[in-house]
Amino acid sequence: LKREIKKIISAVWVGIICLVFSSRLSTMKAASICPNDQTGCHLLPLANLFDRVIQHSARMHGISDDLHSEFELYFLPSKNQIGRVSRNCHTSTILTPNGKENAQRIAREELAEIILKLLVAWRDPLWHFHQSMSQHDEFTNFSSNKSLEMSDMVHELRKGVLKVVEKMQMLGIISNSVGDTGSPEALLTSDSAEWRFMKDYDLLYCFRRDSNKIQNYLKILKCRIVPKHGC
Amino acid sequence: MHLCTEAHLNYLYIDLYVHIKVRKHITQFNSCEETCLVGPEFCLRGKPSVSCSIEVPYIKSVMAVSLSYDLLLLLVISSLDWSSTPGSAFLTDHNRMTSSGRSEKKQQKRERATPVEPHFTECMSRDLETFRCWWSPGTFHNLSSPEELRVFYLKRNSPSSEWKECPEYSHLNRECFFDANHTSIWIPYCLQLRGQNNITYFNEDDCFSVENIVRPDPPVSLNWTLLIVSPSGLSYDVMVSWEPPPSADVSTGWMRIEYEIQYRERNATTWEALETQPHTQQTIYGLQAGTEYEVHIRTKMKGFPKFGDFSDSIFVKVTEIPLRESAVLLTLVLTFGVAGILILIMLIVVSHQQRLMMILLPPVPAPKIKGIDSELLKKGKLEELDFILNGGGLGGLPTYISDYYQDEPWVEFIEVDEEDADCGEKEDQKSSDTQRLLGLPQRSVGCFSADSHPDDDSGRASCYDTDLSEQDTHLLAASLLPGQPEDEEAFLHPDEKAPASETNKSPLIQTESEGKPTWINTDLYAQVSNVMPSGGVVLSPGQQLRIQENTEKESQKKGTLGEDTSKLNKPQFQLLVVDPDGSGYTSEITARQISTPPSSLVPGEGYQTIYPQPMETKPAAPSEPNQSPYILPDSPQTRLFAPVADYTVVQELDTHQSLLLNLPTQQPPPPCLPQHPLKAPVAIGYVTPDLLGNLSS
Repeated sequence: LKREIKKIISAVWVGIICLVFSSRLSTMKAASICPNDQTGCHLLPLANLFDRVIQHSARMHGISDDLHSEFELYFLPSKNQIGRVSRNCHTSTILTPNGKENAQRIAREELAEIILKLLVAWRDPLWHFHQSMSQHDEFTNFSSNKSLEMSDMVHELRKGVLKVVEKMQMLGIISNSVGDTGSPEALLTSDSAEWRFMKDYDLLYCFRRDSNKIQNYLKILKCRIVPKHGC
Repeated sequence: MHLCTEAHLNYLYIDLYVHIKVRKHITQFNSCEETCLVGPEFCLRGKPSVSCSIEVPYIKSVMAVSLSYDLLLLLVISSLDWSSTPGSAFLTDHNRMTSSGRSEKKQQKRERATPVEPHFTECMSRDLETFRCWWSPGTFHNLSSPEELRVFYLKRNSPSSEWKECPEYSHLNRECFFDANHTSIWIPYCLQLRGQNNITYFNEDDCFSVENIVRPDPPVSLNWTLLIVSPSGLSYDVMVSWEPPPSADVSTGWMRIEYEIQYRERNATTWEALETQPHTQQTIYGLQAGTEYEVHIRTKMKGFPKFGDFSDSIFVKVTEIPLRESAVLLTLVLTFGVAGILILIMLIVVSHQQRLMMILLPPVPAPKIKGIDSELLKKGKLEELDFILNGGGLGGLPTYISDYYQDEPWVEFIEVDEEDADCGEKEDQKSSDTQRLLGLPQRSVGCFSADSHPDDDSGRASCYDTDLSEQDTHLLAASLLPGQPEDEEAFLHPDEKAPASETNKSPLIQTESEGKPTWINTDLYAQVSNVMPSGGVVLSPGQQLRIQENTEKESQKKGTLGEDTSKLNKPQFQLLVVDPDGSGYTSEITARQISTPPSSLVPGEGYQTIYPQPMETKPAAPSEPNQSPYILPDSPQTRLFAPVADYTVVQELDTHQSLLLNLPTQQPPPPCLPQHPLKAPVAIGYVTPDLLGNLSS
């Protein structure tokens, strides 16, 4: 009878496991993306994409903020540097909307393009920044890792934004005029030299500002295009 | 006369630190004008300090190592007395945080001691679209009338920017308001105050970007709902929800704000803060029933450090409802109890009772000698045992026992087996197993039949000569008591040595055993060295040794011993001495070896097998076939052997592929083994499997 009991118990276990799995499967099926044929349903993936990209940009801004504060601690520049710095940001040549109305009035394609331009413009400077930071022994590994992360994030964010733009173009929301940043090199050549002369602290200050811009613009873009999904 | 400004305090901390720790660096910095990295004494003397730019890479390393010294330095510096210009910027918020106490003290000192020039107290934006700045005239009384001071600002978005006047004044509040048209985000603004005669009070630190000065408004429409009350009724969870501030444009995504809830008991002094999160509702867990709580919320921009003001407080209170819970508890207890009982009943019903008992309460394994009740043995009731064995006994006992354990296949009885087919005796069921076990004389002569459980895998004992006298039952009884000391003087020994001959020779035992069987000195469990194919059990020499000893002790008569030894040579003597040295345990190999040619070895090689006994026989330790029976001392003068260990360690294998076991401390009796040369030297070590292979080959 012992064997019988064991058989029964094993059968019960198998049954329980099957039940659990089937319930999970059923719940998974129920959580399909578009349960009903809602009007805005096809935009849900786009909203998700936007959310992810915005989260990404928020994280990037957070890291740049951390690094900036650490630099302030180390370098202790006087605050009047703020006034001095703006002239040095190499992205100053990119015309960006500086207020809410401007950001809302501007065309979506243009806003997307500005975002991409910004991201492209920061790719090289951040990489070089990371290189120079890792060479300094004074900086902790923590800061060095952050700079690397920052540099990577710019890459990833750019890819993400490109994907969003593609999706929007596919859905017909924006026209295809948004260049595939076809000529990032052209953009850079005009500014190429400037950022090399910036000091590290200035670079961080500028990037902190620009990452906040990117974050804002993305959010505005999302709320203009898919307003119903979490704005 | 400019003194080191408060903004330079950070540097001073470093200076002091540098001064303390890295003296050599201090010499590189001479004055405030040059680098601002000076010792505090310079600033105290009042040397002018202008904008300082710090490029001290090496300082970073020093700072990185010793940031914790800041606090220490703070204490040190706070005791120093210097003054700083009052136009310290509102932007140095974090500095103010760390040194708030000191700076206030200093400001007071300053205000008392020196005149304070007009300065901006704060610039703030609520919605990232507009901002406003407040100024104060300081202690310059001649400027106290508000219109005297004018605010100018500079937008540094182009190199050729110029100072412009405040677009909107509110002289009552000494406030300058910048509306949306004049506000640009991400562009630095600088502000300055100008008095008459174009006297400019400008602090370089009053430059900022609007996104860095945002303090959002607090949320509105706070309300709370009871989420759940704990079963005990003592604590509860509450969900607080609110609306984002109307001034912050969250719907277009322009501002991303986070909320921080703080709550405290009505009369408490400290607030408890929850983590900031961006949703417009949050749960507060673990509030106590009956206490009133005060809750308020404040906001900040995501990614920026400044919080806005707190909202108005709301009050949360839930009264206790204790009684309800006891009912719940009671029902819970009842439910679980009933369920448990039901399950138990089901189990009992479904399964056979005995099986259940087996599963739930497995019996403790104990020696189950058929015919012997272990309880009696434990109690040590000699008389009862005797009675059982003898009276109620012969015939009564086995059946009793078998009834008790009838259906237990796992109960392995030590059975006494019949002697093959040679035994022509009729089965005597009445002979108790115990007697058979111990080889006591039975009523009947000859072989005993096997038990009625031929399927049991207990060992089969060969037939045993049964000339035991009645007194041996007493011996038996005594010997059954485990652990009886040797004072019993009851030996059964000769019986064991008695040959399992079919003849009815009176066993040596009778001649010798005046006293008690040597079995008394043996444990009830003997170490079985080997099982003969014929069914004999080879016990460890340990027992045999003891038996021997007792024998010798008992009987002075050599004759008996001589008889013994003569018996030894008979084939029927099969006390297979495993270890000439007396250790009781040998490995499998030797057991096999022993078992293989028993017949060949028997004649004259002097093995002695202790027959029977319905003990569990396993192919126990092999021993060298050539091992001589250490024991049976041929001569009565043979020394008594020391008690041997039941286990020994195989030391090594010798060239003859015999195991060398541990030498006991006492010397084995060499002289008594002339016919049986010790071929097995003591082995050392353990036998590894490959060695085993060698042995067996």
